[in-house]
Amino acid sequence: MRSMLLLVLFVLAAAPASAQFAFAPPRVDFTGEWSPRVYNTHMDIGDYTGMPLNEQGRLRAETWHPDQLDLPENLCRPHPIDHGLRVSVSQLRISNELDPETRQPVGLRLHVWWQEPEQVIYMDGRPHPSPNAPHKWSGFSTGWWERNTLVYRTTHLKEAYLSRNGVPKSPKAEVTTRMHRYGNLLTIVFIIHDPLYLTQPYIRESSWILDPNQVIPPFPCEITPEGTIVPAGKVPNFLPGQNDALHDFAIEYGIPFEAALGGAETLYPEYIKKMKTMKVAPRTTTTHYRRTQ
Amino acid sequence: MGGRVVLLAAAALVALTPYVEGQGRGGAPQNAPPPTAKAGAAFDMTGYWVSEVTEKWRYRMLVPDKNDYQMVPLNPEGRRVAAEWDPARDQATGEACRSYGAVGLLQIPGRLHITWQDDNTLRLETDSGKQTRLFRFAGSPPMNHEPTWQGYSSAMWGGGEPRDRRDGFGGPAQDAKGHVVVLPAQRKEPDYLKVTTTRMRTGYLQKNGIPYSSNALLEEYFDVFSDPYTKNTWLVVTTVVTDPQYLVEPLIMHAHFKKLPDATGWDPTECRADEPR
Repeated sequence: MRSMLLLVLFVLAAAPASAQFAFAPPRVDFTGEWSPRVYNTHMDIGDYTGMPLNEQGRLRAETWHPDQLDLPENLCRPHPIDHGLRVSVSQLRISNELDPETRQPVGLRLHVWWQEPEQVIYMDGRPHPSPNAPHKWSGFSTGWWERNTLVYRTTHLKEAYLSRNGVPKSPKAEVTTRMHRYGNLLTIVFIIHDPLYLTQPYIRESSWILDPNQVIPPFPCEITPEGTIVPAGKVPNFLPGQNDALHDFAIEYGIPFEAALGGAETLYPEYIKKMKTMKVAPRTTTTHYRRTQ
Repeated sequence: MGGRVVLLAAAALVALTPYVEGQGRGGAPQNAPPPTAKAGAAFDMTGYWVSEVTEKWRYRMLVPDKNDYQMVPLNPEGRRVAAEWDPARDQATGEACRSYGAVGLLQIPGRLHITWQDDNTLRLETDSGKQTRLFRFAGSPPMNHEPTWQGYSSAMWGGGEPRDRRDGFGGPAQDAKGHVVVLPAQRKEPDYLKVTTTRMRTGYLQKNGIPYSSNALLEEYFDVFSDPYTKNTWLVVTTVVTDPQYLVEPLIMHAHFKKLPDATGWDPTECRADEPR
């Protein structure tokens, strides 16, 4: 009896993960090459418009300096894929993910050109790992179908950026993503929940067009041996209250400074009236400190 | 061996036959399409909704500067027309609604009120610019439909196209009379609203006079969902504008709206050429 029990335990332990979970078969075929049609906003220091930031998130954002990107350890740093899909040159490939041993489908794999982030969406009902499990650039994702929409939840994300101008996303954040195909048009809705830096979920959308002829080139990235423009040992930053570029965006575009710093109130139509009562600095500049990558 | 294959095929056909569409008793087809668009709605869009502007904020919550058309694939003719934008002239000549036309309307911050005008017509009203769009599920644009700001919109519930019409033996699934049918295993539920709009007056993609022509084709895809964190209900629209007169490629835009319990905050405003809403 005991040996039988051991045998059962051995068989269960030896079974591939995919054999232990029920795979949700696809209702829509998302696989293929998708060409991006993205907005690519939020490149300017001080442009936190439309973001439901809290005070902590805003303070972290204000300390960010664009030269941080030139630190050797950041040169090849990828974006988490939910961000990379929006802000970079984000040619997207979606393929079926097969269990390496059984060759049975377990989900989908997303691949993006810039820095080549990859994301596997498990569709076989497996649980998310322990909260103490390692966090990764693309986190851990499990998906399910809501009619013809693929919905997936991503946890275990590393601390990263919400935007290209240094607005932070904490490692406590999770993202629920809704992927819908309308013929040859793919729309993805990102719902970002970050209890550390946001006061409410941050919702944004992006679209792609099916492009069977797209070829995503490799993205080799390596740290140059001679170093970067940032001297060794220096971490570029702005101390709180000392970011002298923070107002440039608002001044250039004639936006009340407070409005440019985001917050949930700024997202709704009523705020247009409120802005009329707010002070706007004279538009004395047409340039600002801007990220180009 | 050959006889066994035939036997198996026959058994499969017998097993499938009772589930074929169009085989209802008394001549009434099973799983017939709903009699009206309202009865067959993929989701409930009715009620009040408010814009939440998280993207292109400075283009939507403010009136952008003239010639600011970043992220719009304008061609040279589009740029030339954009450079002629004059909001004072638009206001003075009765053209203040140009930015409230069907293409740009849902980009303008504001509230929506959506109702069923009848069983086959969905009515969408905005407080910004006091516009009304009608999404018609039946019929096609009349030939003599004069161009209007909101044009003529044909609607359909999408996503219900069957997965595969093959019967497993190489041909399309058919009923006993040879009519092509959809088997239950092939069926999908509709889950979005597609609206196609034509016959529009020349208008603006953005408040700052970025043009679209009266030949533009507007395709919109609406989806409704609940977010898992706040449990709020959201309406998301993906907009595709095809206009070779002014655009080098179709422009894709998005907007999303939060469901409201009632009309609180409804703030009707006239078309204004020099205001964000």
